[in-house]
Amino acid sequence: MEELFVGKSFPRVDKDKVTGRARYINEIKLPRMLYGKIFYSEYAHARIRRIDTSKAEKLPGVRAVLTGASIPEVRVGFIGDQVPLKKDKVRQYRDEVAAVAAIDPDIAEEAVSLIEVEYEELPAVFDPMEALQDGAPLIHEFDARGKPRRNNILPLPWKLETGEVDKARAASAYVVKDRFTTTWVHQCCMGTSGCIAEFDLNNNLIIHSQTNVPFGGKDRLDMFLANLGIKGTTRVLTPVVGGSFGSKLDTDIYEYIAVLLAWETKCPVKILFSREEEFKACPPRQPIIADIEQGCDKEGRLTFRNVEMILDNGAYTSWGATTPSVMMVPISSLYRVPNVRYKATCVYTNNIYCQAMRGYGNPEATFPVECSMDQLAEKAGIDPMEFRQINANVPNETSPMGLKITTCPLKECLSAVKEELHWKDKQGKRNGRGVGLGSLIHVGGGARVYLSDGQGIILKVDDAGNVVVITGGTDQGQGSETVIKQMVAEAIGFKPENVFIVTGDTDICPWDVGTHASRHLFITGHAVIAVCEDAKKKILALAAKIMPGEIRGIFAKQAKQDPDFTIPDLDYSVVSDPNNLDIRNGIVFPKNDPDNKHCQVPAVRILRKAHMVGNGKGEMVMSEVFYDPPNEMLNRDGKGNLSCTYTFGAHGVEVEVDRETGQVKILNYIAAHDVGRAINPMLIEGQIYGAVYMGAGYGLTEEIKVVKGKVMNPDFLDYKILTAEDRIPIKPIIIEPYDPEGPFGAKGIGEPACVPSAPAIANAVYDAVGVRIKDLPITPEKVLAALKEKEQNK
Amino acid sequence: MKKFEYLKPTTLEEVFSLLEEHGEKAKLIAGGTDVVIMIKKKQLAPDYVISLNNVAGLDNIAETNGVLRIGSMVRHRALENSPLIREKYTALYDATSVLGSVQIRNIATIGGNICTSAPSADTAPPLLALDAQVVIKGGSGERVVPLTNFYLGAGKNVLAPGEVVTEFEAPKALLSAASAYYKLSRRAALDLPIIGVAVYLRLSKDHSCCEDARIALGVCAPIPIRALEAETLLKGSPADNETFERAGEAAAREAKPRDSVRGAEWYRRDMVRVLVPRMARRCVERIKSQCKE
Amino acid sequence: MKKRISFTLNGTLVEKEVEESAMLLEVLRDDFELTGAREGCGQGECGACTVIIDRKAVTSCIYPVMEAEGKEVFTIEGLLGKNNELHPLQQSFLDNAGVQCGFCTSGMIMAAKALLQENPHPTEEEIRHGIAGNICRCTGYVQIVESIKKASEAVSK
Repeated sequence: MEELFVGKSFPRVDKDKVTGRARYINEIKLPRMLYGKIFYSEYAHARIRRIDTSKAEKLPGVRAVLTGASIPEVRVGFIGDQVPLKKDKVRQYRDEVAAVAAIDPDIAEEAVSLIEVEYEELPAVFDPMEALQDGAPLIHEFDARGKPRRNNILPLPWKLETGEVDKARAASAYVVKDRFTTTWVHQCCMGTSGCIAEFDLNNNLIIHSQTNVPFGGKDRLDMFLANLGIKGTTRVLTPVVGGSFGSKLDTDIYEYIAVLLAWETKCPVKILFSREEEFKACPPRQPIIADIEQGCDKEGRLTFRNVEMILDNGAYTSWGATTPSVMMVPISSLYRVPNVRYKATCVYTNNIYCQAMRGYGNPEATFPVECSMDQLAEKAGIDPMEFRQINANVPNETSPMGLKITTCPLKECLSAVKEELHWKDKQGKRNGRGVGLGSLIHVGGGARVYLSDGQGIILKVDDAGNVVVITGGTDQGQGSETVIKQMVAEAIGFKPENVFIVTGDTDICPWDVGTHASRHLFITGHAVIAVCEDAKKKILALAAKIMPGEIRGIFAKQAKQDPDFTIPDLDYSVVSDPNNLDIRNGIVFPKNDPDNKHCQVPAVRILRKAHMVGNGKGEMVMSEVFYDPPNEMLNRDGKGNLSCTYTFGAHGVEVEVDRETGQVKILNYIAAHDVGRAINPMLIEGQIYGAVYMGAGYGLTEEIKVVKGKVMNPDFLDYKILTAEDRIPIKPIIIEPYDPEGPFGAKGIGEPACVPSAPAIANAVYDAVGVRIKDLPITPEKVLAALKEKEQNK
Repeated sequence: MKKFEYLKPTTLEEVFSLLEEHGEKAKLIAGGTDVVIMIKKKQLAPDYVISLNNVAGLDNIAETNGVLRIGSMVRHRALENSPLIREKYTALYDATSVLGSVQIRNIATIGGNICTSAPSADTAPPLLALDAQVVIKGGSGERVVPLTNFYLGAGKNVLAPGEVVTEFEAPKALLSAASAYYKLSRRAALDLPIIGVAVYLRLSKDHSCCEDARIALGVCAPIPIRALEAETLLKGSPADNETFERAGEAAAREAKPRDSVRGAEWYRRDMVRVLVPRMARRCVERIKSQCKE
Repeated sequence: MKKRISFTLNGTLVEKEVEESAMLLEVLRDDFELTGAREGCGQGECGACTVIIDRKAVTSCIYPVMEAEGKEVFTIEGLLGKNNELHPLQQSFLDNAGVQCGFCTSGMIMAAKALLQENPHPTEEEIRHGIAGNICRCTGYVQIVESIKKASEAVSK
């Protein structure tokens, strides 16, 4: 039967957001609530000699002042290398040294300004290459277990090797090698970081957190409480959030601090970042230094790829240090490369540390890979588009990393770009205008980052005809409520307006690993299909029992009211066999006679009748499922089928370079994306447009300027997010191969569209004016300097 | 944010008397887009904020007796929307149509932009190129200062305590002249300029020769400056690309930009060289087109 | 210090004692509990706090509250009809996916409202110029521009 809701561009359902009623963390106020503010370090690397909080404590309205000395030392973070309030030394400008809770935010801010700290400055290191050298200042003298450290290298030696790289290099006809670098960029959620922590009288923690991993956050906070000696458990409540883009996958230090202040004051404590704090103290995207070598044979087939990366880990460790696990995906599997070697070293420095950001390493890694591809194509004398086509991934192949590719329309994506961009006419002119290309591979069917990649859903159908779906997944703004309603309505046969979604409470909602890795629609979709199948079975079983009597009753009533009415002679067996029944738009009907008006009964009547029996045999429909997809964790060698399916795409960009000013203008942007199946085409386009703008910013204008560890542009004036007037003409092309692994054929789309933008732009600039900028962002200054250098070298 | 008393005088006399009464504890506010931010950032901590927004007579735009007069409290948005400014004093339209955003332009004033005296003020190069004068009123009377003499340094000007800028004056536009301003920035809105370049040209009747020229640069020195040598080069020279490019080179030599978070010194200097001829050419186009009408 | 202020808020004359050094945004959110206007940056650089004063779009986070005296202030809450009917702009943002996370949306819709009041049939270029002061991190602006364009066509019908 034709699908009613899936595949349609349903409007967004969030009326609260367009009327100003949506409640973000900013709006949430609790009785007795206090406001927390953090005192940050004034040095990048220093010993703390003395902290004097006496003036702050005396300020009227201040309820608590905490320092590292006043609390038990509990380590937090991915490798336990930090404590919420720093005690002996500070390792970066934004180190949290003290925290205040007061009755209003102004008093809290004033109290923070009254805290005095004496430091003994230590030599600092801001260059990861320097930090690697013998004799470089040690950022951490001891590790989490108290063992002395010998250097600044993290115990996270990322490595992947497939085939025989050295042999392949020797046998290659063409080889290119170069270095590419990226810098810090910020997620810049419009809603800043913030949370409210409070304890109940049984010492249980309730935290209003903007996290996208509520159960992961709960685990970490449960452990934190246990380590503090607090016998209580955590409940995580998630409000509407103003964006995420990867910034809400860890438990941030400010959250631990809010918990400590709440415990100390026995009041709810709210911490809300200013925009300046958001730039300085909310970890950004991971920068990389990448040395990449690639080779191909005479026909242009890739023979090997060898990538070595240095990651500036900053002073402490969050998810930035794990981005190599995702970077392995494009490095080993973007295009068919038989021999791959990848090595990534994370180094401590006194810079700011990093967490995840949309793409989780993929944009960082695809920049060197795709720029190098163009260099190799040029050396081999092959057109860059044709070079990609020669090496494109194909369906139903397993990559050397162990990724089991199912559907793969990469060639179609490339062809679409080639046609829409008028590639043949525009490429290779070097006349100030040029075209460039970048492809992507990303996980599209969940990602087994943790031992579980699952999601539970509890579904109930009430006897008023409403379906309530209780799910552990969270929304970041992408419209998950709208899409889940579509999928539930489709799968269970009710109307979307009769579907309600409940999320955001770890006490109520079943477990979900998190809204990350573009997994939400894929995993939720599968869980929805499974749970709706079960619920529908139950409804139809009830219907089979109830419908014959119900229909007879309708006839009898009609006959009573209308003497001319003759009761039709129906074959009631068609409505008493559950296998012959189905539901559509909330109406139960027989499959073999769907248009027979006499045999259509609203499901709500059946549910009511089934419930209100009166003899102890009442029934209500409830179903539950826990869906854990059939993907794998990466093994020790970094190999495994991380995801159930992979999504592909290709971006083509046409630019115009002003040779006198170095300014790069995007004339045309084609974004062709493999989405498996578009559950809601309009919302998918929204993800593509938004991610392309983010990727274009990554390529051209965005950078956190860090000088000697200090963030120099912590505001929207000098951190350049593109405005509506910085128009990029984008044409999204949605390609739907209908993946057999995906729910309704769908794959994830949240991250992919920001992955290939930067290299596509870099490649287009090279095509336009013959200079290759290998360090992001591609600013006019860099382009102009490169042009002048090229002119001089002539 | 620091608390203060917000005073709303309705006449200039009231303003002067409040300024005298509170002295250093007071700060004048126009649109507030600079002052409010400075208070939020703790760069300013006044006890009294004296608003000019309710004093009548400070927000007119008019051409009278051969002089263009712009009240100091005229909002940038009013300048952007004014047909008079757009058609005849176009550099000022160029600047106010890209300054900040519509929201900022609805509040911020040309007087505030000039009096904050940041080297990055977008209206400064156009006003300099239009040879503007600043009308200053104080308790002791009125004085008129050419804008070229108004600045003393970054964020500093010749206003004495108790003085208020009430108006800007510029010579009336001529058919044989035009002006243009280019804001070099990374985005199309919300940015401060990397540099700002304004050019004013008056051509001979047959448009072949430059009779008068003014070149003004923003963010190329601690204060907005005129590139006087480049101007001299233009005056009396043919209005052609060769002349314009030499003027650009001269202006680039006169500029004294520096390295900052917003831009590098070498790039700023080089962009003076590139943008002066582009703005000069734009002036020529504008003159030709307005003569056709 | 608290001072009395009186102005028209979403069509109704209001009077209140407010902190005289406050900006309009805090007063709207805290004193009037109109939390639609949001603080994205506090410095007039993102537009999330945009409201309309005397028919002009203004960033309320840097607008001194005392200047609202006697003026007509409209917030996103003022767009909703008496029976909760959505304004065409609000409906269009839902129908055309002009909203994702929603944090910028109140300010974006008010900037659009001010634009359409001044220019009922704007071109795409004029729309982008009118909302250039509103940063959105989610949408890439394309569907926002479409939402505004479609709303302008609906309003004129």
